[in-house]
Amino acid sequence: MSIIYNSYNTKIIPERIIEAEQLLKEIPAKHCFITGSFLYQEKFKDIDVFIISRSKKKFKLSNKKANIIIIDFNDLNSLFFHSLVQTCVSKNLLPKNDLKVTISDYWNVVNETVPTIINQKSFKKEIRNLILYTEFFKKRIVLDSFQLNKKIKEFKSPKQIFGYIEENIPQTISKSRKSSYLKRFFYTQSGVYKELRDYSAQNFLYLLSRKITQCLANG
Amino acid sequence: MVDLSEFKSKVESLLSQDYQVEFLGKNFEKTVSLLTKAKAERIYSWIGKVVSKEIQPILIASKKPYKDWVVKDLLTFRYPFKVNNTEYRILFVKVKNSIYIEFHLGDHKYYDKIRKDLNLKKSSY
Repeated sequence: MSIIYNSYNTKIIPERIIEAEQLLKEIPAKHCFITGSFLYQEKFKDIDVFIISRSKKKFKLSNKKANIIIIDFNDLNSLFFHSLVQTCVSKNLLPKNDLKVTISDYWNVVNETVPTIINQKSFKKEIRNLILYTEFFKKRIVLDSFQLNKKIKEFKSPKQIFGYIEENIPQTISKSRKSSYLKRFFYTQSGVYKELRDYSAQNFLYLLSRKITQCLANG
Repeated sequence: MVDLSEFKSKVESLLSQDYQVEFLGKNFEKTVSLLTKAKAERIYSWIGKVVSKEIQPILIASKKPYKDWVVKDLLTFRYPFKVNNTEYRILFVKVKNSIYIEFHLGDHKYYDKIRKDLNLKKSSY
């Protein structure tokens, strides 16, 4: 008997629950689950199957569309994992640790996403974590796969994403923690970017980190 | 099919530096052999853009040591591509305002390992 997690009452296709259960039965692991567009979209690219395991063994499934991703037990407190399990079909009750998200984690995501968006033509896949973290720090909610996809579809161009970053991140970060820590953290960041301002990504990140320190100074 | 030594010399010739860049990766030779001429050309063109500063690096403000360097002094350039439905990544590492030191080529697992070494990845986010 599988367990269905559905924190936001996402409309899951009933037949997909049965298909998911059959797939999960094939996996020789206690903790495994299926999430993503397979559960709620008629047309889907692949089936995201997650297995929580310490073992290094390789898992194979009969369905060629199954995309197996191994999650380490150490990552059960990540925002990534907490987002995945908001809406999923699981073989058993899933282990869940308290969520641990830091500003440093968030900034790592911003730091990696900005150059990637500039470098790559396709950006929808790359902004997933950026949206997840920003919406978490902004509203203290963990979006599920359905909500994330819906939000991502709102962005039609990289310019819109940069607008979203500039509009939301300085305000969101400056309200999220003790300002003395944040001032120190972003002062260090801007110092590192300053030397590399001939790169447009680092110039953007430099200006963004400066804007955050200004927001902090203005209270 | 691309010859390994030809691939390495082409990459080195695009860098014009005396320091010998290290070519690293699990199954590096095999992965290069899977490349078509067109895919290899696209990689050379990407390296040209890295050299002319058209490609944006990823830089982490971390004091963690990485071999003879410190992570905050390293710029990492990333190039994703697919061969026969398998995803591969190139991670090209440069010392800030200086030489290119490492050219990593590998599958997703190898890429995750190097990202951890370079402090670019902390968890499975």
